[in-house]
Amino acid sequence: MGYRQGVRDAGDEDLIALVAGGDEQALSELYDRYSRPVYATGVRLLGDTQLAEDLVQDAFTSVWRSAASFDPARASFATWLYRIARNRATDLDRRRRARPRPAGEHGLYAIPGGPRPEEAVDAWDVAAALSSIPSEYREVLTLAYFEDLSQREISRRTGIPLGTIKSRTTAALKRFRQAMANPAPREARGE
Amino acid sequence: MSEDRFEKLLGPYVQGELSGSEERELEQHLEGCSDCQADLDDLRHAHDLLRATAGGPPPELKEWVMARARNEPRHRPAGSWRLWLPVAAALLVVAVLGVGVLRMVSTPSDGLALSATSVAPQAGGELRGERIGDNLRIELEAWGLPEPEEGEYYEMWYAKKGGGRVSCGTFTAQPEGSTTVSMSAPASAVAYPEIEVTLEPDDGDPGSSGKVVLEGSLRDLQAGLPTDVALTRST
Repeated sequence: MGYRQGVRDAGDEDLIALVAGGDEQALSELYDRYSRPVYATGVRLLGDTQLAEDLVQDAFTSVWRSAASFDPARASFATWLYRIARNRATDLDRRRRARPRPAGEHGLYAIPGGPRPEEAVDAWDVAAALSSIPSEYREVLTLAYFEDLSQREISRRTGIPLGTIKSRTTAALKRFRQAMANPAPREARGE
Repeated sequence: MSEDRFEKLLGPYVQGELSGSEERELEQHLEGCSDCQADLDDLRHAHDLLRATAGGPPPELKEWVMARARNEPRHRPAGSWRLWLPVAAALLVVAVLGVGVLRMVSTPSDGLALSATSVAPQAGGELRGERIGDNLRIELEAWGLPEPEEGEYYEMWYAKKGGGRVSCGTFTAQPEGSTTVSMSAPASAVAYPEIEVTLEPDDGDPGSSGKVVLEGSLRDLQAGLPTDVALTRST
């Protein structure tokens, strides 16, 4: 439990360093934090949920294989992962173009650009902001918004009193809002 | 109710989690408190952002990602794959699959021949299944695979018709040509019953090259094929 909590409390750059050493729990934590924006990027750029799932799988396989090459001085983990996802989406799009398309399949989205690009960008900012707030706040927000649990259900799941869950939710939303308003210096994602 | 108590209710309020009486009391307070109203606007914005990004991949996808990570050797320097697999060497791969796939196997001694493709018409392979507790242990034996070029390796996949492919892992072989690799896959493997062995370039691309050298289907294990079924070779 102690180590697992340590992983939950660790920052992204610390986690990727653990992944470079073969730590599966660290990979699992990074997946929990960033699979949604990678998936959203796949849906946005490829217009296909199956390909978006392939993108998620390929992107995190790349994270596992090349974690040792991550340099925190050059980019944040979120930016590094975004570039991996975007490059992989280009490959998947190219392969899909090479195959005959069934009649009626939607046209490919241009890369870069595409419909509502701000949605996927927001997903990355949201993931990075959630990653930066204390784990107990991230937990109540993740359970409420990504697992669709009521506050009573969160209380049962975590064993934390309902009154504490309610006040913690308010504090968590505030911290998240602050993190969104004051992000780390944003590197160019190359969109 | 104290000011502090009202403030703590703002989060549950934007989520629609307050009781009727709590909601009425808070709304009455908000009419006269600009600070709480400003806080509420902030929290609503945070709430909307989180709701907008709630969609994600199916939960079982994480199992695949973690299984693939477990199956891969670590600390492999880039470009350093050395696959010693002389022609006619045998490659033995053992994969452990979950309960879902277990239901597809009628008897533990069923064997399945894998079909060679035009990439390596001289190759052959066989799948065997054995029940171990609640899991199915799949054993893949392959031979006659072409010796990979520098920077190439073999990879085994679970796939499904119509698209979708999940890697079991990559393999190396010893110069004498016989290797056993144990791999695992989650119970959701039932959705990916096709087996493929592909030849992959070590270019950092985690996706399949599409260069299939052996293929078969776990569905055929239900057909009660005899054990040690004859090898499949193209003529």
